[in-house]
Amino acid sequence: MSAESSINNKSRFNVYLTPSLIFFGIIIALILSFQNEEASVFPKFISDQFTFTAWVNEGEDYLRKHFRWFTKIIANYIKSGYYFIEDFLIDSPWILVVSILFLPCLVTGGLGLGLYSLFTMYFWGATGMWDESLQTVGLMGLSVTLCVFFGVILGTFCSQSNKFLNFMSPILDTMQVMPAFVYLFPAVFFFGIGGAPAILATMIYAMPPIIRLTNSGIRQVPAETIESATSFGSNKLQLLFKIKIPLSLPSIMMGVNQVIMMALALVVLACFIGAEGIGGQVWLAIRNLDVGWAMEGGLCILFMAIMFDRFSSAFSKTPEILPSNVQKFYLLPQNWEKYHIARILEKPLSFLHYVTNYVCITITNLVAYVFRAVFSLFNKQTANDIGEFISKRFYIIPSFIIFFIITFIDSSIYEIGSFPKEWKLSIRQPIANAVDALTVNPGFIAFTKGLRGFVYLKLLHPLDVFLTHIPWWYMMGVFTLIGYFTVGLRFAFTTALLLLFIGACGIWTHSMITLSSVLVSVALCFAIGVPLGIIASYNERFRNVQNVVLDAMQTLPYFCYLIPVLMFFGGGIVSAVLATVIYSIPPIIRLTTLGLTQVSVSYSEVSRSFGGTLLQTLGKVKFPLAVPSLVIGFNQTVILAFAMQIVTPLIGGKGLGLEVFNGLARSDTGRGLAAGIAIVLLAIIIDRITLAYTKKQRLALGLVTDNK
Amino acid sequence: MKLSKIISAMILSFVLVLSSFAQANAKRLTAAVADWTGGEISCQVAVTMLEEELGYKVKRIVFPSGTGLWEAIAAGEIDFACESWPSYAESDSVMLNEELIYEGKKVGSYSGDGTVDLLGTVGVIGMSDYYIPRYAAEELGIKSWKDLNKHKDKFATIESGGKGRLIACPVAGWNCHDQKRLNLLGIDFQADELGTEAAAVAEAVAAYKRKEPFLLYLWEPHWFFGSYDMVGVGLPDHKVCDPDTFTEAGNWKDCGTKGWPATGWAKDYTMNYGNPATFAKPEHAKAKEFFEKMSFQNADQAVMLVEVSQKKRDLKEVVKEWKDANPDKWRSWIPN
Repeated sequence: MSAESSINNKSRFNVYLTPSLIFFGIIIALILSFQNEEASVFPKFISDQFTFTAWVNEGEDYLRKHFRWFTKIIANYIKSGYYFIEDFLIDSPWILVVSILFLPCLVTGGLGLGLYSLFTMYFWGATGMWDESLQTVGLMGLSVTLCVFFGVILGTFCSQSNKFLNFMSPILDTMQVMPAFVYLFPAVFFFGIGGAPAILATMIYAMPPIIRLTNSGIRQVPAETIESATSFGSNKLQLLFKIKIPLSLPSIMMGVNQVIMMALALVVLACFIGAEGIGGQVWLAIRNLDVGWAMEGGLCILFMAIMFDRFSSAFSKTPEILPSNVQKFYLLPQNWEKYHIARILEKPLSFLHYVTNYVCITITNLVAYVFRAVFSLFNKQTANDIGEFISKRFYIIPSFIIFFIITFIDSSIYEIGSFPKEWKLSIRQPIANAVDALTVNPGFIAFTKGLRGFVYLKLLHPLDVFLTHIPWWYMMGVFTLIGYFTVGLRFAFTTALLLLFIGACGIWTHSMITLSSVLVSVALCFAIGVPLGIIASYNERFRNVQNVVLDAMQTLPYFCYLIPVLMFFGGGIVSAVLATVIYSIPPIIRLTTLGLTQVSVSYSEVSRSFGGTLLQTLGKVKFPLAVPSLVIGFNQTVILAFAMQIVTPLIGGKGLGLEVFNGLARSDTGRGLAAGIAIVLLAIIIDRITLAYTKKQRLALGLVTDNK
Repeated sequence: MKLSKIISAMILSFVLVLSSFAQANAKRLTAAVADWTGGEISCQVAVTMLEEELGYKVKRIVFPSGTGLWEAIAAGEIDFACESWPSYAESDSVMLNEELIYEGKKVGSYSGDGTVDLLGTVGVIGMSDYYIPRYAAEELGIKSWKDLNKHKDKFATIESGGKGRLIACPVAGWNCHDQKRLNLLGIDFQADELGTEAAAVAEAVAAYKRKEPFLLYLWEPHWFFGSYDMVGVGLPDHKVCDPDTFTEAGNWKDCGTKGWPATGWAKDYTMNYGNPATFAKPEHAKAKEFFEKMSFQNADQAVMLVEVSQKKRDLKEVVKEWKDANPDKWRSWIPN
């Protein structure tokens, strides 16, 4: 009895304790922030002693002196490989390049993807970014190849030894958390500028998913299969190469898909270290405030991303088997089969399919026959092997024949050259005109001005002043306390150390400016994203449309998000915040929808049957249950918002991102690195706190049971 | 088994082909694209000459200007860059070891370590200052920078609070030290870096159209002066501290109002610079000679600036047009 009441007392005490603590915390903070700015400056004698920047630069000098020859060799190998691919793509006749990209898309993804790839390539050429697009494709192709090669090897090793896996997992975690900019800049000094460091940085950035997925794919091969293979006398290597890896191919292909998307994002960003491609075009366009140009570049990247995404996911998809009495559709959706007109429209396509198939098989068999006949003069066994090898490749052989024909025509009959200039169809001017027309519209000016004024005066400026005026030790204390209550003592200690590091690097003020930009962006994301998520959770059609839009948004590299903001709001710190909002809003919308739709129907039914209105059900039942999901959305949004801080200085962002840029421009690696690390640290601290909070919430709601 | 051998043979031959391609093309150069329109034009002029008259293939790389670019050139990653303005470059005194010659006259000298080669002057002479629109100067009676503080509230924006706003030097790597200059001179203004030249100019154009007073950092030659009536605020004459401690090595120690950065900019004899090893090669002798002879005039650049920045025409087209129309101007640059 007494024990129970004391527990009750304690929990009641807790209930009042937290809000009152927060309340007093804010009051004290407000009082403190009315002091002068001096108090917020980290003590100078510490930051003067702790010359992290100088240490990094000295260390870098040492490494450069002693290891540069080694890194240069690696860089030269990669560079020559990249130049080879680039020269091949750019100097080849354009029809050859088109067929090289078109045929695989056609074979794996069907007619729809094939036509889409043709459209994409037409767009590259028509906008006059043919060379740049191919440079990006080449850069990406090489980095994806290298990533997949090393990723599959490392993943296989991970799957074979638990020790190695334990050794690798923290490394993989770090690779994924670290924003690419942090290592993109030091890479310049070891691997030079341009393609080589871009490819190496891409490997760091994009390899973790394929290592993880290879590992899990191999580990998930069913035990029975392995047993039966062993009982047939397979040794360990045979088991691995003949059974485990082939069986885990779908998982590996999923990894390849992710690698492609991540590589594309980084390859575009690598224009900052002199890698050529569309990224450079977009940057030039942003520099010239040329909205039409930037838009064209952005669309080139978007179409490319969708093409590669669909292509690689088509690879891992197994073809669906249709009942024999159903006509197979090649272009139109299969569920339109019930309409007569659709069946008629599809007839010629299926005829075309049979003809192509027949031609391909005949040609392949013919080639196989010729090869077999020639080789059988020397060795019968080899000839049979080769013949069989060739006759199984119905698509590859005809494709290569087409490539050869094109090359032959180009070299000896008629020079095809690069993409014809006459086909140019620039949408640059119409876009620019449309934007111009909009930006002189008085109503629109009033709107943008109002929004800018609101975001700046009501949100950004007060928070900026508050955070930069509040004493550093108070802010640090608040973070440490939050860390202590949500995660634990050890984490609180780490938080304090990490924040001390930021302060000691002399970038405390910059960090606070970045923090306020991120917080304002996240708040706006919530204000816009949660209502959208709620609507989507009630209306399925809206949800479907929204999903498509969000998919497209998430395939675009974050660099491109500067464009729409630049179009309507010009440069400045508010624009930087708005760009951050656009980039980091998808997770919060998705997870709100997910959280609300996942709340089991019975809960809301119960609430409705007790007479709860729609709003009551939403507010009292659904939302509390969706809180963990919302917090994860918040967490991801924060991470994305921090990542975006790196590129916002291009349109007037301030804080740590600008410090990174300053570091690059002055070739001051230490300065850039310190600012980059500070971004990572802030992101990590917030990430851990929110994750721990969700875990507690889930436990409290009984959604998960504590495993430990 | 046989097949895997064949495949490995194919891979091996592919690698061999790769390594045979690794030998760089002899007549190939890489150039950095400048991050302001004037620099882009000068560079495009040089690149067009190299490509069309001397048979080079020039790769143009987008790379931010600043110390990083100088180091990339010293390391041989980029072969040359165009139109460096001496009073903006921090690295010139460290990395160049040559005299700056303009039309036969010595206009400066460097005694660095020679890791970067001074290829010669571009011909364009640059001037930088802070400017205000003439209507504001007349209305408020501002004659020099000393009068700015009196009217700082007129120059304030919502972002700058009680201070006035300077639309500052937009690119970090240019080393303008605007805020430092304002502080040293006691001008109670806030320097706003907008990230790009285009953004800064767009801001100024918008303010001009509203007839608001604004303070703008800008340089000549620039198309802006052709369309908008601006007057300089006459910053103190350019002077450097003696010894010059306002460097990265000197931890940016200034000497108060006695010298840079508390002064205006010097007259800039702009120059092209490149990698010494590249331009020492016999196959690049022609290119080196071209850069020594190049003499691109302010007036020509100014005309092209209007075409490119205001009329939004394609840079390459504009340069090509100029080249076709004025053969007498560039013939003498081409070595025979």
